[in-house]
Amino acid sequence: MADFKLIFRDPSLRVFLLLPALIFVVINVFLPYLIDKYEAVNEYVPYVLIVATIENTQMFGFIYSMVLIEEKETEVARVYGVLPVSKIWFVLFRLMIPFLITVSLTWAILLLQPFYDLSVFLTLLFSILSGLIVPVYCLGISTLSANKMSGMVWIKIFNILVVLPVIAFFVPDSFSHLFGMLPTHWAFQGLNNVIEGEAFFFNAFIAFIYFLILTTFTVRKFASVHFT
Amino acid sequence: MIQVKNLSFTYPGSTQPVLQALNFEISEGEIFGFLGPSGAGKSTTQKILYKILHNFSGEVFIQDKPLDQWGKAYFERIGVGFELPNHYLKLSGKENLELFSSFYKKERLLKIPDLFEMVGLQDSMNKKVEAYSKGMKMRLNFIRAIMNNPDILFFDEPTAGLDPVNGHKIKEHIVDLKNQGKTIFITTHDMATADEICDRVSFIVDGRLRVTETPSTLKHQHGENKVSVESKDGKSAEFSLENLGKNLQFLEFIQENQLLRINTMEATLEQVFIQVTGKTLKV
Ligand SMILES: Nc1ncnc2c1ncn2[C@@H]1O[C@H](COP(=O)(O)OP(=O)(O)O)[C@@H](O)[C@H]1O
Ligand SMILES: [Mg+2]
Repeated sequence: MADFKLIFRDPSLRVFLLLPALIFVVINVFLPYLIDKYEAVNEYVPYVLIVATIENTQMFGFIYSMVLIEEKETEVARVYGVLPVSKIWFVLFRLMIPFLITVSLTWAILLLQPFYDLSVFLTLLFSILSGLIVPVYCLGISTLSANKMSGMVWIKIFNILVVLPVIAFFVPDSFSHLFGMLPTHWAFQGLNNVIEGEAFFFNAFIAFIYFLILTTFTVRKFASVHFT
Repeated sequence: MIQVKNLSFTYPGSTQPVLQALNFEISEGEIFGFLGPSGAGKSTTQKILYKILHNFSGEVFIQDKPLDQWGKAYFERIGVGFELPNHYLKLSGKENLELFSSFYKKERLLKIPDLFEMVGLQDSMNKKVEAYSKGMKMRLNFIRAIMNNPDILFFDEPTAGLDPVNGHKIKEHIVDLKNQGKTIFITTHDMATADEICDRVSFIVDGRLRVTETPSTLKHQHGENKVSVESKDGKSAEFSLENLGKNLQFLEFIQENQLLRINTMEATLEQVFIQVTGKTLKV
């Protein structure tokens, strides 16, 4: 809860809370308007939805990266290092709230978009998958960044990395598997399966395992450096 | 309470050890000090003891139990006063303490308004920390360290950056804590702080301990065994303490002159430090 006080009291972070609203407007107002004017846009709607859900994870990804980097820069992180609390549980618990909010918002975006009638259950599964980006993203960035300056650079790099696999939809199949190195590729393919009404679980399963491994790795790495 | 044997430490990625075979013990209820210039390894030693740095060599026992066998319970029992102020600047002083206190068991927690009152910050309790001066932030550091009523306290440079009045108050509080039976380990590069409040001090230079003793013993050992006598009209003389009462020249001096002062020629702790280590405490 203290995290939300920190976010609301920092204008540069607070403004990012508007991101989901912006995405919502793009999907529900702007995109239908475009389709009305240019028939051809229709073909791209699945990819816009995919990018929109991923951008939705960038809100807390960015905000928490900044909160954690600031905490490290000001050495407040050390205080947690001498509190009677398990560092790993503390990290997991703390990121639970942004994770859950992100999942709910992604789910809402998918259920409320006007283009497809998507399964409530499958969209929830996908929302959970894409929500897993948030902890990996902000723990990774704050572990790599000594200060806000390098943090901004890493955020740009991560931001590109997470959306990059959308290119897989536009290249020949043999190339598209290259993007499988990035975990979001599997989530993207999964959401595309949901939209196309195809089998979803194979890609979702790979994405899930991939994120689980990444989360374990980043949480441990983060916990070993953040509090010192 | 705390025993340290052959403690050595090298920072990861560095080749030079910053601590080399330190040996010292801290008894229950004493104020023990590390006195040394900046870069000597004082903070590093404390960070090892409060478990922020790992992978040291040597042995550390807390209440006869090896440090690495202490788990979460250790942090209920210790308090850490960090060298530099570290608070959430966007939160008020009170919100900062409330946040961190929520991690401790409730039974031993001290009342937050009392803590602010204790260091004269009661009027700033609800102000954001970004509006605090450096001295106020350091006082907030101090009360955060003691809010869980710990048995063992680490203070890293507790008086650095404080004006003399607040520095004096913090020293008084530290002595109070000792009188409550707490075991206290402070680091300082300030000779006066070490001299005034420490029961025993270790001189640390370049990661090695040179001597561990009570300040008064050190000053005696390294002072001259003499008194200096000065009269109001500016005459002065020195006499050996040996058989001073039978020293006719001394007796004559104090009979025939209006005295301004008589001092034993103890060394100051700073002089002792320079004699022992060949270094000054200047930072
Ligand atoms: N994180 C670190 N990595 C590498 N070297 C360090 C680090 N922190 C401190 N040092 C070095 O270790 C030595 C001891 O530092 P420190 O314990 O902070 O000294 P003191 O507290 O006595 O001023 C210094 O030479 C310092 O440069
Ligand atoms: Mg230091």
